Amino acid sequence: MIKDKISSQEIIDLVSSKAVVSKRAAEEFLKVMISTIEDALIAGESVKIKNLGTFKLQWNEPRKSVNIQTGAEIILDGYYKVSFTPDVILKDLVNEPFAHLEPIVLEQENIEPIQEDTDVALDPLRIFTEQASEIKDLISEIQSLSPKSKSVVKPIAKPIVRTIVDEQKVEIKIEAERIEIKPEEVAKIEEIEELAAPVLEYIAEKKTESVIVHQEQMILRDKDGSYTASDEAAEFGSSPFLDDYKYKKKPKVWIWILLAIILLSGAGSGLCLLYPPAMDFTQSTLNNCITGMVKITGNISNSGMFKTVNGWFVSTPQKSEMTQSIVIPKDTTDDDSISSIKPIDSLQVMFDNPRVYTKFIASERIRGGSRLTLMSKRYYGSKDFWVYIYEANKVKILNPDNIAKGTLIRIPKLDPRLIDAANPRCVKKALELHDLYVK
Amino acid sequence: MNHKELIANMAAKMNAPKSVVADLLDITVSTCTELLVEEKTIGFQSFGNFEVRKKEERLSVHPSTQIRTLIPPKLVVNFKQSNILKEKLKDLPHHD
Repeated sequence: MIKDKISSQEIIDLVSSKAVVSKRAAEEFLKVMISTIEDALIAGESVKIKNLGTFKLQWNEPRKSVNIQTGAEIILDGYYKVSFTPDVILKDLVNEPFAHLEPIVLEQENIEPIQEDTDVALDPLRIFTEQASEIKDLISEIQSLSPKSKSVVKPIAKPIVRTIVDEQKVEIKIEAERIEIKPEEVAKIEEIEELAAPVLEYIAEKKTESVIVHQEQMILRDKDGSYTASDEAAEFGSSPFLDDYKYKKKPKVWIWILLAIILLSGAGSGLCLLYPPAMDFTQSTLNNCITGMVKITGNISNSGMFKTVNGWFVSTPQKSEMTQSIVIPKDTTDDDSISSIKPIDSLQVMFDNPRVYTKFIASERIRGGSRLTLMSKRYYGSKDFWVYIYEANKVKILNPDNIAKGTLIRIPKLDPRLIDAANPRCVKKALELHDLYVK
Repeated sequence: MNHKELIANMAAKMNAPKSVVADLLDITVSTCTELLVEEKTIGFQSFGNFEVRKKEERLSVHPSTQIRTLIPPKLVVNFKQSNILKEKLKDLPHHD
């Protein structure tokens, strides 16, 4: 590319030869042209020249920079720049060598649909495989469980009931002692924990006892033939059929009870060890809190009652004192802000206090290309205040630069003083927050 | 200020009929255009330089649709104000 610089003198020559005018006239014309354009620009107007383009003034903001040698920060002053937008005709003429080229939408677009297709095609397969694996797991589980469930699990459930029923029958019919024992035992079963061993022993004892008793009973029955035995036996004998039933059933029943107790104790201890501590802890703390609250409220109400009893004149000043003591901080801040420079203080307070977002103007779902800054621009008028939207939705947003699609973003209602784009302090604060969150 | 107003202003300054000024302006613009098409730089003393710059091809990604597009290279007319003009504009008050 040959870059010959053509001076204004050459332009003058060319124009004079083309227009058949004297060079002096052409020179004067050019000078006047430039001076009028300048004047118009200085007056703040834009100048449009047909087939050439538009001249406009553009303000460049002052900005910070760093001195390369010293590293000291310097502020570059803002300045006006003459911007020139070429006319479409000029643009096209200049760009003629590349005019045949057109923007090409890259294969990326082609790839994406293919990917989607493959995804769609794969989805059923994936679902299938997932389902298959699930089914496999289920089958294996069932297979592993089925022998147990047949031998252990199912029978346990029924025999437990049966045993309990049996025990009840037995113990109701036997003696008051046993009835007394039974609740203990049941309590022990319920308690489970490490007491399982004693319980087992107890049961073993009971078993032996009952067997002995039955044996005795049988002996007695054998001896006397009829039911004319001792007082103990008489009671047993009152229902011989049931006794026989009990006797036959008992060994099995006791096995089931043992199994059930072992299982229950295992499960119970596990539960006791794993879950309850935390639950107990939270519950206890909660309870403490509640009781504390109750106490406090009770005290308050009591004191209030006392005061009312003592008399209205005594009670009301005290109450007002209390309320005053509570409200005092707010009042003082308000008073200060009113008495001294109000906007600065209230703003400072707003900046310093952690913002709580309770009211929301709207909510938006993140789509591809959604930006918090754009939302901020839409709702607050400036993109600088996106930080507040981020603050309000911090829980849902991992990275503010890349929010997952479909995330529901709620736009908080903000104090208009906080999002005043005209106030440099608001902008500064927002930028501070920006630095805080983006780093 | 549009084309007509510019011609009117210039005619008033030069004490010349508008038609002549319009002709001269057209010729000036056409010569400038021709020179720019030849990719030459035009420097107007005390005003600024017109030059043709080549913008290289680039890949653009549409922010919301993620469509990637190859933007072909192109030639663009660029105007850079001279320092003299910049100094003149410095005196302007900034009202924004």
